[in-house]
Amino acid sequence: MSVATTITTPAAVSNQPLQLGLGGYEAIAPTIILGLTALALFTIDSIAPESRNNTLLSGVTVVGSLIAVVVTGWQLLTGAGSVELFSGQLVVDGMSLFFTFIFTSVTALVALASHEYVGDRAYQAEYYVLVVLAATGMTLIASANSLATAFVSLELTSLPSYALVAYLKDNRGSVEAGLKYFLIGSLSSAVFVYGISLVYAATGSLLFTEVAATLSAGIDGSLTGVLGIGVVMILGGVAFKTASIPFHFWAPEAYEGAPAPISAFLSSASKAAGFVLAFRVFLTAFPIDAIAGVDWVLAFQILALVTMTLGNFAAATQETVKRMLAYSSIGHAGYALIALGALTGAANQPFVLSAGMIHLLVYGFMNTGAFLFVALAEHWGIGRTFEDYNGLASKAPVACAAMSIFLFSLAGLPTGGGFLSKYFLLIGAVEAQTYVLAAGLIINSALSLYFYSRVVKAMWIEEPAGDLSIEGYPTGLYAAIVTAAVVTLLLLPALAIFSDPALTAGSGLF
Amino acid sequence: MVGAFEFAPAIAALPFVSFLVALFVGRFMPKKGALAGITATGGSLLLSLWVYLAVLTSGDPHVEIVHTLIGVTDPFSLELGILIDQLSALMLLIVSLISFLVFVFSLGYMNDEGETGLPRYYAGLSLFSFSMLAFVMASNLFMAFMFFELVGLCSYLLIGFWFRADAPPSAAKKAFLVTRFGDYFFLIGVVGVLGTFGTAAFAGDGSFPVLAEQALAGEAAGINTFGFDPQTWFTILGLLVLGGVMGKSAQFPLHTWLPDAMEGPTPVSALIHAATMVAAGVYLVARMYGFYALSPTALAIIAFVGGFTALFAATMGVVKREIKQVLAYSTISQYGYMMLALGVGGYVAGVFHLTTHAMFKALLFLGAGAVIVAMHHNEDMWKMGGLKERLPVTYYTFLAGSLALAGIIPFAGFWSKDEVLFEALLRGMDNPIFLVAYAMGLIGVFFTGLYTFRMVFLTFHGEPRTTIAEDPHHFGWNMKFPMVVLGVLATVVGLINMTPVAELTGAHIEFLHIWFEHGGETLTVEHYGALLEQWAGYGAVDASTALVLGSGAVSLLLALAGAGAAHVLYNVPDPDEHTDKLGSIKTVLFNNYYQDEYQVWLAEGLTANVARGADTFDQGIIDGAVNGVSSVSLFLGDRARRLQTGVVTNYAALLTLGLVVLLVAVGILGGWFV
Repeated sequence: MSVATTITTPAAVSNQPLQLGLGGYEAIAPTIILGLTALALFTIDSIAPESRNNTLLSGVTVVGSLIAVVVTGWQLLTGAGSVELFSGQLVVDGMSLFFTFIFTSVTALVALASHEYVGDRAYQAEYYVLVVLAATGMTLIASANSLATAFVSLELTSLPSYALVAYLKDNRGSVEAGLKYFLIGSLSSAVFVYGISLVYAATGSLLFTEVAATLSAGIDGSLTGVLGIGVVMILGGVAFKTASIPFHFWAPEAYEGAPAPISAFLSSASKAAGFVLAFRVFLTAFPIDAIAGVDWVLAFQILALVTMTLGNFAAATQETVKRMLAYSSIGHAGYALIALGALTGAANQPFVLSAGMIHLLVYGFMNTGAFLFVALAEHWGIGRTFEDYNGLASKAPVACAAMSIFLFSLAGLPTGGGFLSKYFLLIGAVEAQTYVLAAGLIINSALSLYFYSRVVKAMWIEEPAGDLSIEGYPTGLYAAIVTAAVVTLLLLPALAIFSDPALTAGSGLF
Repeated sequence: MVGAFEFAPAIAALPFVSFLVALFVGRFMPKKGALAGITATGGSLLLSLWVYLAVLTSGDPHVEIVHTLIGVTDPFSLELGILIDQLSALMLLIVSLISFLVFVFSLGYMNDEGETGLPRYYAGLSLFSFSMLAFVMASNLFMAFMFFELVGLCSYLLIGFWFRADAPPSAAKKAFLVTRFGDYFFLIGVVGVLGTFGTAAFAGDGSFPVLAEQALAGEAAGINTFGFDPQTWFTILGLLVLGGVMGKSAQFPLHTWLPDAMEGPTPVSALIHAATMVAAGVYLVARMYGFYALSPTALAIIAFVGGFTALFAATMGVVKREIKQVLAYSTISQYGYMMLALGVGGYVAGVFHLTTHAMFKALLFLGAGAVIVAMHHNEDMWKMGGLKERLPVTYYTFLAGSLALAGIIPFAGFWSKDEVLFEALLRGMDNPIFLVAYAMGLIGVFFTGLYTFRMVFLTFHGEPRTTIAEDPHHFGWNMKFPMVVLGVLATVVGLINMTPVAELTGAHIEFLHIWFEHGGETLTVEHYGALLEQWAGYGAVDASTALVLGSGAVSLLLALAGAGAAHVLYNVPDPDEHTDKLGSIKTVLFNNYYQDEYQVWLAEGLTANVARGADTFDQGIIDGAVNGVSSVSLFLGDRARRLQTGVVTNYAALLTLGLVVLLVAVGILGGWFV
């Protein structure tokens, strides 16, 4: 909290009388801590631009993001309530803190794992700075309470991501993926910002709460079409961030071409950022009961079903593990979209939304872990296909055990929290009477078991190739993988025990 | 005497402990687990006696829930409990006594004969006793089913004890499969009872027989009879449970496993036939008699099947060559009498016959075991003869058992069988179906006398027909002691319920009747009588003294006639095989009326073909569908994958197209274009 004391600007709008005299800024302490971490990295880099002190840079990033994790956790536990800042441009509440916790945790894991991955490549400081800045943007997305803030913070997340994907400058795949990501991203941003302008045209405001108030009061019937197109376009911008079909085209190539820790970062944290924006915009600005004639729940149902189905089906035929994970990540976006698609009148709405949030939390750890394992394999240089992983368990049993936990949990088996989060989603979908989504979830999970278990089979059952050898056991990568595995594992009993508080996490928006 | 009931769970638990001991440390013990078993069943016997006395003094049944398996109360909870009343206290005493004696006998039959695998044998025997004791104590139908199945498993393990030979494993499998066939119906019955009443408890105000009676009287709400008339539905449930009973108690047509089960060690046969497996079926009918009493149809079926089985099995027993085969058919026949008794409303008569039969049949099997040991494991009666002088203890005890089995006054079997037939006659005077059942039972008495004494004469009388029979192997006290105990009991146990004598003298000496007149309100014989009268139309029939005596005299005369025929035909120095004179009937009898043949045809000709068809369906259609789904999935996956062309302009085009499609879809549904 010492960081926050340096800020002396007068307090903005605050609903909380008891604010420790910090003017309300302590509410966004995690964002500020991440920003300061980025500044610290800049400082280090400007002092010694040519040095490649990877340990220092990685260490600062890890420490900075861990402090942010702890602060977020503390704020979550003490129940910060709902605080609005900057005339309502930002809001800090349970959901923003929940997602900030995901972002900062993933950032810490990725930074830790990058220690060996980055090794002695050039532009190390830039790498870490971009990661931290993207994370800062994500935390801002989680708190964004107006369409303008949302757009700016979305760009703050996206721009560093483009650069990070292209970080391996000598690798053709990396550079190409970065460029494609940038092009599709630009197109999507254009769609998003155009959608914002249409919504502004229809409602006359950018603040979520005011948009909602205008909609509740009722808008001119002739504007319904304008508003509807705007809403669907905003949905498109969000879908880009969550890598939902048809805005997903960047994802398989970006995830495959990017350095594996960055793939982990993008597919876990960045995706979650897309979801928190979606939850916030659609539930706060376009409440279902207020918005007539724009059935965005239906749009999300279509999106969820198509995304989970296409993602998993495409994953089933991949030859390389990383690309398989890339498609499976698209499939998981489809599962999480159930949280919005099942918000029908029949649904227990807070339950469904909380189920989606919990799935993203679990996913943040299990998916990050899986990509970090790929990073480990890339570090060892053993190849990219399923066959290259044959017999790996005989050389690296701990990492392979962790990977098996991730994969089975991703498939929805009870080796980790993934089982319960999928189960909650299923219950939510059934209660909402969106049986198509429930069936899609089950069928796709069954299919996904096929390609996840291919990896497990290769690692544990197949005979290793004659020349399989690995050099060293990189400490940082191992620590990150094992941590992710332990958290994934512990989330299963934790979710079972704390299912009551966990399933009310999303109730603040109703 | 509250103390006794607190120890009741130990009656079953002790043999379970000895099962574990025999299994894990039996091979290090001096008698390979026999001593543990003897100690445990001896302890059970003492505790059973104590519990019996406690019931005698207190008179009230003891119901206790020991462990709740599934504590959900809606729609029903599943629990393990204890029900000690007059019936189960008596049965506990019988089972633990027979088990104890069988363990002692096994010392001679198995240990002294140098058998291998003894820890396995004693472990199986202990588990058998445990299962049966727990079954007897079961407080609800669900728990009864569990231990009923465990009893079946133990019989499988023990019948197939000599698994290296060909016949025992096959016989074990047959016993398992045939009884399992009946148990399927039982299982459905258990589910049906739980689904109908929401409880499977035997005793108490909320028990299912009581609820069923209230439902018939139109007093109980919340009974789901699945759209049937309550009485029809209760008959269906009763008959489903009866499926299990007929399998275990070897009633026609599920009796075929029992003669084959003679492949097991003889002490095991004694246990199976007298006190455990076969008795379990009849005991179950008695246990839920309050339920069967509500359904005249189920009762008529029980009675008729029982009467038929009694006669049918007795005729087959007449032609068998092996001593244990004769006893096997005799068991089937005797359990037929018990079913007949229960079916005609003679609850006490049925339980009485169960009690006396346990004594004399255990005795006969142990005697046969002794003979087999003496004959160096040759079981063919035509190779014996003249053993009377050489094995006097065996002879006299075996004779006592045979007299009891044949039903000669004053041995135990006379009193119980007489009462069974008397009850059947009483009911038969009302209803011709029961009269037919009675007639079959009565004719069965003649054949019983015939095959029993044919067995006695062929084995013990005449001249020795082989060298082994001239110089039989001798055995020790551990085989003689159980035979003597049972010999005494087989002689006197009938005295507990001498109905004809009571009728003559007017003395109140029908102790078993008096015993069952006490106890829980819904478990007494008076209550059953009232139920029978109200729901099954079994009105009170006035039985004159002459009828009582006449019935007894007729059955005694028939038994004597059978024994006399055996005396004429076989009690000669060198008897002929008179069965040859029967011609083709002999072939039919030897082949057991071709029961096995048609059941094998059912299994191989019909079931196997259906199974093959199902397999084809599974392989072709189900697996084909599964394989089809996976190839279609992979094909579609390949298509989905090809969307990713790698050309970024395609992506942009598809993205825009997708957005437009979404816009149009939502727009049309939202009515923007109107």
